[in-house]
Amino acid sequence: MPAYLRPTSALRVYIDGKDEVEVEPGRSVRETLVSLNIKPELIALVVVAGEQKTKDYVIQDGDIVKVLAVIGGG
Amino acid sequence: MNGYGGHILRVDLTNGKLTKEPTPAGLARDFIGGRGFGAYFLFKEVPKGADPLGPQNKLIISTGPFSGLMIPGAGKCDFATKSPLTGGYASASMGGHFTAEIKYAGIDSIILEGISPKPVYLFIDDDKIELRDAGDLWGKGTFAVEKHFKEKLGEEFQVAVIGPGGENLVPYACINHDYGRQAGRGGVGTVMGVKKVKAIVIRGTKSVHVANMDAYRAAGKALYKACKDAEFLAEWTRYGTTVVTSWCDEVGALPTRNFSAGSFEGGKGIYGQTMREKIVITDKGCFGCPSPCGKYSHAKKYNAYVEGPEYETIGLLGSNLGIDDIEAVAQANWLVDDLGIDSISTGNVIGWAMECYEKGILSKKDTDGLELNFGNAEATFALIKKIAYREGIGGLLAEGVKSASAEIGKGSERFAIHVKGMEQSGYATHNATAMLLAYMTCDVGAHHNRSWAITYDLQVGRELVVPEKVARVIWLQNFRPMFDVLGSCRLQWVELGINRDLYLPALEAITGVNRTWEDLEKVGERIWNLTRMYWARENEGFGRTWDMPSPRFYEDAPKTGATKGQITKLEDVNKLLDMYYEQRGWTSDGLPMPDKLESLGLTAVVA
Amino acid sequence: MRLYVDSAKCSGCNACRVACSLNLFGENNPKKAALLIVPHFPSPGVYEVKVCTQCGDCAAVCPTEAIKQDERGAYYVDFAECTLCEACVPECPEGVMFVRAELADAAWKCDLCGDCVDVCGTSALWIAEKEAVAA
Repeated sequence: MPAYLRPTSALRVYIDGKDEVEVEPGRSVRETLVSLNIKPELIALVVVAGEQKTKDYVIQDGDIVKVLAVIGGG
Repeated sequence: MNGYGGHILRVDLTNGKLTKEPTPAGLARDFIGGRGFGAYFLFKEVPKGADPLGPQNKLIISTGPFSGLMIPGAGKCDFATKSPLTGGYASASMGGHFTAEIKYAGIDSIILEGISPKPVYLFIDDDKIELRDAGDLWGKGTFAVEKHFKEKLGEEFQVAVIGPGGENLVPYACINHDYGRQAGRGGVGTVMGVKKVKAIVIRGTKSVHVANMDAYRAAGKALYKACKDAEFLAEWTRYGTTVVTSWCDEVGALPTRNFSAGSFEGGKGIYGQTMREKIVITDKGCFGCPSPCGKYSHAKKYNAYVEGPEYETIGLLGSNLGIDDIEAVAQANWLVDDLGIDSISTGNVIGWAMECYEKGILSKKDTDGLELNFGNAEATFALIKKIAYREGIGGLLAEGVKSASAEIGKGSERFAIHVKGMEQSGYATHNATAMLLAYMTCDVGAHHNRSWAITYDLQVGRELVVPEKVARVIWLQNFRPMFDVLGSCRLQWVELGINRDLYLPALEAITGVNRTWEDLEKVGERIWNLTRMYWARENEGFGRTWDMPSPRFYEDAPKTGATKGQITKLEDVNKLLDMYYEQRGWTSDGLPMPDKLESLGLTAVVA
Repeated sequence: MRLYVDSAKCSGCNACRVACSLNLFGENNPKKAALLIVPHFPSPGVYEVKVCTQCGDCAAVCPTEAIKQDERGAYYVDFAECTLCEACVPECPEGVMFVRAELADAAWKCDLCGDCVDVCGTSALWIAEKEAVAA
């Protein structure tokens, strides 16, 4: 089953303006962000199935990983 | 006037005279409300050179056109005064439900003038307005006093109250409301204390008139819909401002041991998720808020019921003191709230004292026997009480880090973390140049909320010193305070990312005046320049040196954490100021030039 | 249909009450709302929300039959026929039948317009069939 990364709208520029992007399970959130050219330090919160995770969390099959960035506001 | 209460209430405490006058239409046009009203009244009515603790100073409490209406987070109230902490402009923003009642009582600003001969509270029930004796309430903590009024008068009344800290004229005393919301910074509670006003209790039952009811309801609903549709509403609401605690730790912005570092090895103990799991009971929203950042907690270890702790308090009374236990932070939070002193300034002065102690500048002899090592929660609790009652070393610390370090000397001025005498809030700025500039140039001293530019630092490169960063800081300083002018919260824009244009039809429907964000930012710039002129008027020799940050951020690179070895160069600090003044249209000494004032319609105001 | 509430989700913000007064009276005045938030602070630190269950006890005792039922089963006050006698007020088991002569010329209660639900950011309020349990 594929997994998806769903970022804050401010980060959609990194995924061609889409709402979410399919990502490879088995890699950490941090590695995944780097592979998408998103700086991990811009992410304040990682949530999977309503639970907060660290950026070292390894993405599992079927996960929807929500990442909240602290940019855009200010 | 549509969208307004319609009156300014003046309370002359010296002779007990109460007067209401119509809110001037020109004032609403040029300064709109809230912080705009506060800045204008302060500049025009408090005479040059007035003693902040004297009868000439005023405490100006203002609502905005959004206050009390169906607008997300329309519970923001502005408290303006001449600061007893800094000697300059003070403006503190308070959430909760107080400002809505002011509006429903038909009032836009309450101006406290003079000094009462004895403790009083101001009672307002629509048009029944009285100064009543508060002799039996003087000396009591804020929680007991609020409970007293709620039980006596009912839940419809809203209460703003000072604690012993304000009574004892601690210059960073705050005003408390709704069991945990504060007008926190700059000593607005001190001014209320010296005027001998223990509390303001208010109920309003009047309807607020708007220009176009149907359009207002539609625009208000559209704003709520945007908030409810925001993808991260649930996550922001779950953690509130503590979303950023772990992030600040990760990027080296979490104030740690008196800002000597930006990452805390015990951080996990005070992260938002730890707090949510261990102590949070309920979400607690300000008026009309669809995304309540307020968390209400019970720290069982101390049996403390407290709103928060929110991020700033966690940073300053937690990691900044080396405390890694969220329950201890909650207890410290309860104490400062009950005693009525600002958690941010308090966390700074205690952090400074702990550093002095560890460096041998203060000894056990000086600290009344307390072992002021970082991490000592019990000593922190003891110090908070000593500060509020000015006992022993508390008398020194009650003066704030600028004065205390000037008195102690021995190099302690180098690690007194403040700008213009106001202690720095919760972002370590060793390597975040836009945020550093935001602190340096903030209109009340080292406070974050005018320009939360740290996210921009992370986005574009934190050590960069470029005009774009300066422009971002200025834009935020002009734009963000407009929420405090309008009387609603900025967090729906900051956090949920709702489109700010949604506010414009609401503002037009409410007030009948069409304004663009360009217009509104111009009002923001007008206020920013007016308050700058206020600082200059009140302080001989005011200028560039007043904008310098604590040397810690250009001398002491952190030895640990994410920003280990990183520091902003002094020449870059100066470069930031040069660019800032130029972009602002100010002189190289940081004073607004006449043509800038003219373009903002301020020439006559400041004359 | 009736209005339901999960008090545990309420943050006490009162947006619902402003929206309610706007619908009932066309006025911006939460003192004229038909639902109540009772805060219990500083301890135990919870909000208790009182909403109309559309039980109809108010209508049953109204001497002028001013409280009528619409097609969805919601009881509402026909302002023109209310005499402010207050007979309905003590009958309400939830305490959300209101007469305050200083504020309004008629009694008021929830008419199930749903505006409160629209502005509740924490989803504490919802409208459902009477038999239904929590959504």
